[in-house]
Amino acid sequence: MLSVVPERSSEDLDLLFGALADATRRGIVERLAVGEATVTELAAPFSISLPAISRHLKVLERAALITRSQKGRWRHARLSPTSLAAAATWLSRYEQLWTESFGRLDDHLARLTSEQPTPQTQTEKGRP
Amino acid sequence: MTTTTTEQLAITRIFDAPRALVYQAFTDPDHLAEWWGPIGHSLPRDEMEFDVRPGGFQRWTEVNVAQPELRVHIHVDLTDVADGELLEGVMHVSGRLQEGIEPFETRLRIEFHDEADGRTRLEIRQWLPEHLAHPSEEGWRQAFTKLDATLTNARAVAADHREVEAWPS
Repeated sequence: MLSVVPERSSEDLDLLFGALADATRRGIVERLAVGEATVTELAAPFSISLPAISRHLKVLERAALITRSQKGRWRHARLSPTSLAAAATWLSRYEQLWTESFGRLDDHLARLTSEQPTPQTQTEKGRP
Repeated sequence: MTTTTTEQLAITRIFDAPRALVYQAFTDPDHLAEWWGPIGHSLPRDEMEFDVRPGGFQRWTEVNVAQPELRVHIHVDLTDVADGELLEGVMHVSGRLQEGIEPFETRLRIEFHDEADGRTRLEIRQWLPEHLAHPSEEGWRQAFTKLDATLTNARAVAADHREVEAWPS
């Protein structure tokens, strides 16, 4: 139903979209879009523990959405490679938007078709 | 300005309603306001302006109900319209977006097709914004090659030792 164009195994894309299927991880990716950060900085907006953030980072790293590097005592996370991560986030957001909206469109169309029983279907106006 | 690129998002969906009605759901503001948008957003009717024809437009605002100061403006410039069959244009997204998101534009094509039993097949194509697509397909290929290598590596590492990590707090 949904396809993302770059020729890649669906397994890789599963990892990618799986990683982005979680609101906290999307939040982390969006934060990293602004610039690199330590785990403490990443944890700040969320009410979850540092080890929990660390686990989310591992999922993102496995999907190659982020890389981590040691700077002195601190490990920093950053988006990697930027274009892929940003594009994947964008695609995932739109995929979600359409999917959510389609559920409501189903309901809306069901209401309309029950309100106006048959008139439209027979006379399909405007068809050459 | 807009380079020809392959579409990035392709969605096909069947709706249990006649084509004219599904088309109306996209092109009549009263209808669109009933179903379109991210969860938790509303589309104020008085901020919707539609002029659906080739060279026309569709404009609306998405207001975050919990944070009404977050207002996203959508302007679709329609390049190609066939009544009941096709909507194509460029969607400009601006306003107060979520943190970390820049205004962008995305090319969009929506086709309406008849299906058996009075149902309708919708085919949607959406193109990545230029700034995200920029490194082009070559960039994507390199990125995915890197992803492959990372995955292979990750599997090998996971296989022979369990990583223990301590974060300075």
